[in-house]
Amino acid sequence: MAFATRTSESTTYRQNRGPLRPDIVLVLTYLTLSAIGLLMIYSATAPGLLAAGDDPAQQLKEQAIFMVIGFIVFTVVSSIDLTEVRGFIGPIYVVVIGMLVLVLTPVGDSQGIAQRWIDLGPIQFQPSELAKIAVILMLASILASSDVPLHWRTVARALVIVGVPSLLIFAQPDLGTMLVFAFVLLAMLFVGGSTIRQLGFLFVATAVGTVGVFKMDLIKEYQINRLTAFIDPGAHELSLSYNQVQSEIAIGSGGLLGKGLFEGTQTNLRFVPVQSSDFIFTAVGEQFGFVGSIIVIALFGVLLFRLLAIAGSARDRFGSLVATGIAAMFAFHVFVNIGMTIRIMPVTGLPLPFMSAGGTVFVAMSAALGLAHSVWMRRSVAPGDRRRG
Amino acid sequence: MTNPVRLGVLGLVIIAFFAVLGLRLWTMQVTEAQAYEDRALSNQVRIVTTPAPRGDIFDANGVKLAGTRSALAAIVDLALVDKDDRESLAQNLAAFLDTPASEVAELFEASNQGLQITIAEDLSDAQATFLLEHRESFPGVNVVPQPIRTYPLGELGAHVIGYIGRPNAEDLEREDVKGNDFVGKAGVERSYDQLLRGTEGIVEYRVDAKRKVLALESEETPTAGGNLILTIDADVQSQLQSSLRDGLIQARRLEMEERREALSDTSIPQLLAEGLERERAEAAEAAAARSEADGTTSTTGDDQESDSGSRGATPEPINIEAIDVLGALYPGLPLDTNGVCVPVQRLTIPLGGQIVLSGVEPRTVRFDAVEEVGGRFLATVTVENETESVKNNQSFASTLQVLDISEERVILYHRDKWCPVRTVGVVENPNDGSIIAMASYPDFDPTAFVDGLSQAQWDELGTVSAFQNFAVQGLYAPASTFKTLPYVLALEESYYPLDRGVGDKEVGGETAAPSEPDDAGSDTGEDVVEPEPDADPVIEPLLTDTDEYSCTGEFKFQLNDGTVQTKRDWKWPGGHGPLDLHGALQASCDLYFWDIALRLWNERSDESGIDKENLLQEYARGFGFGTATGIDLPFERDGLVPDRAWFKAEQREGSPRVRADGSWVGGDLMDFAVGQGATLTTPLQMANSLAAMVNGGTVWTPRVVDEVVDQDGNVITENPPLVARTMDLDPRTGRMLLADLQQVVNNQDRGTARSAFQNFGPGVELIGGKTGTSEIIKAPRAQHYKQVDSAFFVGVAPITNPEWVVSVVVERGGSGGRVAAPVARQVFQFLMNGEAGVTELAPGLDAD
Repeated sequence: MAFATRTSESTTYRQNRGPLRPDIVLVLTYLTLSAIGLLMIYSATAPGLLAAGDDPAQQLKEQAIFMVIGFIVFTVVSSIDLTEVRGFIGPIYVVVIGMLVLVLTPVGDSQGIAQRWIDLGPIQFQPSELAKIAVILMLASILASSDVPLHWRTVARALVIVGVPSLLIFAQPDLGTMLVFAFVLLAMLFVGGSTIRQLGFLFVATAVGTVGVFKMDLIKEYQINRLTAFIDPGAHELSLSYNQVQSEIAIGSGGLLGKGLFEGTQTNLRFVPVQSSDFIFTAVGEQFGFVGSIIVIALFGVLLFRLLAIAGSARDRFGSLVATGIAAMFAFHVFVNIGMTIRIMPVTGLPLPFMSAGGTVFVAMSAALGLAHSVWMRRSVAPGDRRRG
Repeated sequence: MTNPVRLGVLGLVIIAFFAVLGLRLWTMQVTEAQAYEDRALSNQVRIVTTPAPRGDIFDANGVKLAGTRSALAAIVDLALVDKDDRESLAQNLAAFLDTPASEVAELFEASNQGLQITIAEDLSDAQATFLLEHRESFPGVNVVPQPIRTYPLGELGAHVIGYIGRPNAEDLEREDVKGNDFVGKAGVERSYDQLLRGTEGIVEYRVDAKRKVLALESEETPTAGGNLILTIDADVQSQLQSSLRDGLIQARRLEMEERREALSDTSIPQLLAEGLERERAEAAEAAAARSEADGTTSTTGDDQESDSGSRGATPEPINIEAIDVLGALYPGLPLDTNGVCVPVQRLTIPLGGQIVLSGVEPRTVRFDAVEEVGGRFLATVTVENETESVKNNQSFASTLQVLDISEERVILYHRDKWCPVRTVGVVENPNDGSIIAMASYPDFDPTAFVDGLSQAQWDELGTVSAFQNFAVQGLYAPASTFKTLPYVLALEESYYPLDRGVGDKEVGGETAAPSEPDDAGSDTGEDVVEPEPDADPVIEPLLTDTDEYSCTGEFKFQLNDGTVQTKRDWKWPGGHGPLDLHGALQASCDLYFWDIALRLWNERSDESGIDKENLLQEYARGFGFGTATGIDLPFERDGLVPDRAWFKAEQREGSPRVRADGSWVGGDLMDFAVGQGATLTTPLQMANSLAAMVNGGTVWTPRVVDEVVDQDGNVITENPPLVARTMDLDPRTGRMLLADLQQVVNNQDRGTARSAFQNFGPGVELIGGKTGTSEIIKAPRAQHYKQVDSAFFVGVAPITNPEWVVSVVVERGGSGGRVAAPVARQVFQFLMNGEAGVTELAPGLDAD
């Protein structure tokens, strides 16, 4: 790997800057959310696997393996000094775009109704998860090297950077990821120093564009359903409203304190489809009730608070913007995913970070968190350093 | 460097997002948690109901009239079928059922997910086995037991038994009825539905999201419904139905004879005569073919066999070829396959085609052209030489109505208003109000309703209202059979014979009179003298030559307001000669009864304090006219006893049944006295009122169900005889009435039913009866004036100790003596002398 040769140099750099101090709160929150996720995945999948005569811990084990990989990736990425690898961001972005194109070709694996996987023999992965990271890095890079307030030219470049992968992802189709891009773009431009006028323009453009997409496809309603639907490969195709109705019943019936671990009827009797991935929050809501739900949301709140703190204490604009973008991405995922399970958001197929079952997602999210953590570990030690761009 | 303020704003946005999530979770999990919990619970429970077997229906002697057969049905539970598999399942099922796949797919579409759809009913064992052995080709398909209603004797007792069907909106309001149940729609199937249905079994399962059963929560086994034991005697019922059927055919033949005579007078081409020859030849051929077909079906044991089998079991005393009264119109002739008229026809005429209508004169209707105007079709139709442009629902040419027009054909509804349309009969036990037999013809096989009625069946039977029980639903002017009422009044009120008390009259015959106790005025049951059982059954004629009234046939009368009017008897020109009350009833002299009514009218405000204007109505209501009898059958109608109050009310509403101006007058009362005018009764009321007159005054609430028993024979519900009210009758009145009714049948000089009972066989002297002929329409038709009469007969036997009261109606049949009395005669022959005693049906003399 190209990064490996750089490791010794960054070690030298770090020694010059002082000791690396991990963000204990961030890491603990990350591990706690992952552990809760693992438990919820087990509670949601065990009854089905048991009924099928399989090992009830089968999916727990698979997810645990991905989590271990995720932790390693987090640790590795945390140890990379981002300023040292800025030169690679462009090529990485181009490679990811290439992968997105590849997904649309026959090489891409179509599972369920969307074509978004690349099959690499024993491993399959979704390039759109990598695309989120690549886009954040790319945006941070160009915004960090621009003047403040931003030129319209810079805004235009940012739009192109987001636009190209958006179009490719739209073709998959994966509306959820597109919306993530839009939100991340707005958040990063806002924090990165755009004028209010520019933001206003983008906001209106996004709104018009979104409405336009829906209007165009309103003629064929099933296409909207497809766009708004993310159904995990392998699951039965069931009506969207059925998903949400059952998910709502599961969470609502949890009550204040929940039905207790492994006592959820909706969960145990598998009324909620694709529960372990997109609808994992229903397992929390039903088994642990309002209190449990608020605790999970609060944990995400702590995580996001830490990410914003990292953005605020980064030693340079680039690191600050990376942390901002990652915070925005997580925030959007959490809001849209939980919102979907309680019927205030459409079904878009955005996973709940660190909790939803899924390998690529967990590893990619861990990598993203690792990027932000890397910024924290190399935050400004002296006020003078913060001025460097 | 990034702007910390803007980072803070981003933080606030995120806090706002999370606050929304928290609020929504609060409402769901705290405020509305209970509702969600209920939904989660109902998610997991699946209720499967097992239908309870419907109770059987037996006649009084234990003959099964309705039962339940256990069959197998195929149901599909769509919740168990993956969407991807639906199409292939639909195709497999279509191949299995031999129907188009689109039909199965439509069934799937129409049902909600989770609903079980019945795909095929009454599977053969081979079919059921095939489905079970090929489960992989039929995912979600289950074979379940399904009770199917059977009516082993087909049409026998159909109007009493009724039929079952899917519930309508009204039925569904009942708590115990669900959409896919069967409920009674008519007859005792309806009136005893609750008892017949029993309680369905309810099994609750806990299921998972795939509706896989996890555990049995609770189970209640179904309780079978109760069995009905009817008062009906299947043998008598069978004879009544066969006599009614033959009676209707006879009436139609007589009508056709009349028509042929009328036609030969005119210059109309001899279409009918020629056609009849041809028709007879072909009908004979068809009959031969049919009997051959019957032969083959009986050997193969086909379903159709049961129909002809039950027919075959009934005696066939008259020599009429195999009959299909409502069969298709004979091509080119206004006749059905029996060569008789058709009262109601549903005609489909192709564009350019023509058809001859049943009618007094044969008329041709031709469908010439069709045009579309404003999205609706207009058909050009020619009836004889008159061309008309007609639209949907339009009535034209006095007898035709358009049902539907398309580019290829027109469907018309045609009524032959002069063709005898139906016969109705009731046999009642006057000693307890039990109905022994009850039917109207055309009838139907209730089995037809089990699978749902086909359009063809509806066209054939629905258009003539074959499914209605006219014994309780038909309303008729009772005509002269009603004369028993003023007769009883005259005796009871010492009103007639003129100025003589009843006691002066020699009544009851020699056998009864001497044993009459001195305190004859007492009306308690014990005091009613029964004829001695070993007495000579021959009843002495009660005629005396005193107190006669010269029945000239024309009744000129003066009302007490001074006006003079004239009414004419049915026998006019000509009369009955000198008659007293008894002779008047025997000969059915209208004048005598008019005179009774006239006297009531003229004395309506005399000093007696009796409301004489309404006295006859009071008697009528007392004997059960004007109100439903309360029999345990649905849809019974009230009939009508007209009086001044009714007349006024109708007039106020502008009803066409009364004169627009003027008031209730003596003439109206006189019409009422002879059962004409506005008077309406059901055939059951006719039988039930006569029963009360001959049993000493007990008006029964008639009943068809004796008791309801459970599967082990224990009585669940008893339905004992019920007295509606008791009329305070002098015992001599009933005896006198019986003697005079006996004369109607037996008096060879003037009895109106004498010729109908001529070849009765032994016991004719024990029969009493009264004929009646109601004049419905006197309508000018072309050159002819044709009167459409309905024929009535009420009878009682044996008159020494009445056991049976019979009433017969031949709607639009002609005169009572000619067509109704012979039908009743056959029934009485069967009752008195058994099956062997029944002789061939023949028309009686034309008499009122």
